[in-house]
Amino acid sequence: MRLECRNIQFCYPDTITPILEDLSLVLDEPGLHGLFGPSGVGKTSLAKILAGTFQPASGQILAEGLQNIFYCHNLERLPGWSSVGRHLERITPPDNVALKDALIHQFGLSACLHRRFGKLSLGQRNRVNLARYLVQDLQMLIMDESLANVDESTRSTILMTIKETFPRACFIYISHNVVEVARYCNQIWVLRGPGKHPQAVRIQGLDAHVTTSANPHTLEKAMLEMMNA
Amino acid sequence: MLRRIYQFLMIYLLGVAVLLAVKYGLGLSDYVIPGPALILKTSQAEIGRYATDVTDTLAVAVVGQLLAIVLALMVGITGRRTSWIGSFVKVAAYNIQAYPIVALAPIIFILLGDGFVSRLLIAAMICYFPLLLSVLGIMSEPVDDIEHFYRQTGRMRWQLEVKIRAFENLSKLTTVVAGSATLAMAGTIVAEFIAANDGIGYSIRIALYQSDLAKILAALFAIGITISIYQGLLEYGGRLCQKAWTGRSPDE
Repeated sequence: MRLECRNIQFCYPDTITPILEDLSLVLDEPGLHGLFGPSGVGKTSLAKILAGTFQPASGQILAEGLQNIFYCHNLERLPGWSSVGRHLERITPPDNVALKDALIHQFGLSACLHRRFGKLSLGQRNRVNLARYLVQDLQMLIMDESLANVDESTRSTILMTIKETFPRACFIYISHNVVEVARYCNQIWVLRGPGKHPQAVRIQGLDAHVTTSANPHTLEKAMLEMMNA
Repeated sequence: MLRRIYQFLMIYLLGVAVLLAVKYGLGLSDYVIPGPALILKTSQAEIGRYATDVTDTLAVAVVGQLLAIVLALMVGITGRRTSWIGSFVKVAAYNIQAYPIVALAPIIFILLGDGFVSRLLIAAMICYFPLLLSVLGIMSEPVDDIEHFYRQTGRMRWQLEVKIRAFENLSKLTTVVAGSATLAMAGTIVAEFIAANDGIGYSIRIALYQSDLAKILAALFAIGITISIYQGLLEYGGRLCQKAWTGRSPDE
């Protein structure tokens, strides 16, 4: 798989200042990758461009071996007319039922399947939302603050589960949690404000797995690079 | 429902009290504004007949309202689209609703006569356009945080889109439907008042020709109680519907 952005330029309608200017980046291996940067720098806009929701004013998106690129975010809701369990049953492709059950267990969602989405806590809502994307046949998933309001230990479990369960898929994790992004992501693209060249800088993350423990010095180095990019 | 009846009774009694105050304040005769005893006596004599007339009017209004709801849903669902046909439906609806539909009533009577169909058509037309504007507004407004998943995964169908938007605006829809009952009733009464030969509007027209305010007050009482009960039933039905669909009471 390969995803390449070439000289992307994007600005919102009714604005003249582009939020993304001459942005280029390449993702050429599966795994969990990060998209990091201060608020308003264009992370969500870039994610929506990659998912095909927005069209760039100029530039190219080249995707090889990526038919389904999904974008999910933490403000999504499930319809309220049925329980969460019923909804997950309906949207899970027949081949992925076992995967759905495993994710429900690993994401700690078993207890809330009989409840409606509106009755769940914010953290539960985000876990349910992420789980329903993961049971789709996907090659790439962009997770925009998808683990917001989830406690640190569960976030860690979920990220590890994703890495182990989907070794051939590509994930782009957007988060403001610098430690988490530095620890769990492989390639980290740090977006900088418009006017800076290059607008996206690549930093190597620790790509932690269950079997490896993060070296504190390497982690600190990655975090410093991210913050100073 | 009882709340609606209480509210109507309070307003009705207040209106009668104002009329009586004017009568006694200006020293008007019973011919202009009848006294309480005459109002009571006339009401007792006429209320049975007026109840039948109001039921007749209500039956036409209910069928007219149903027609308007079905039509507004069909056109509203078509008009929600961002295509040229959607834009055309929206622009046409906004422009046509700006015209006072009741002014078209004489044309309908000329073409269709003064029977049931004319009353039904006018009732439906009068409550159709406000309903349509509400349905169009609701159906044209995407619920992005729910629809996003279905669009991303290619599962979105027009039926699902309509279901999501209706569900998210259920309380607005039930309020609009309950409110349109008054419009349907008003439309039917206006039609009867203009040219029909049935219903409470026709009885009011006769009372008007007789300059009998007591009869008009009795007819207004019958209309008010009937529409209060009907609206109360619609609101109750709306609450049941919401509870069944959302799993919680609208008051929660």
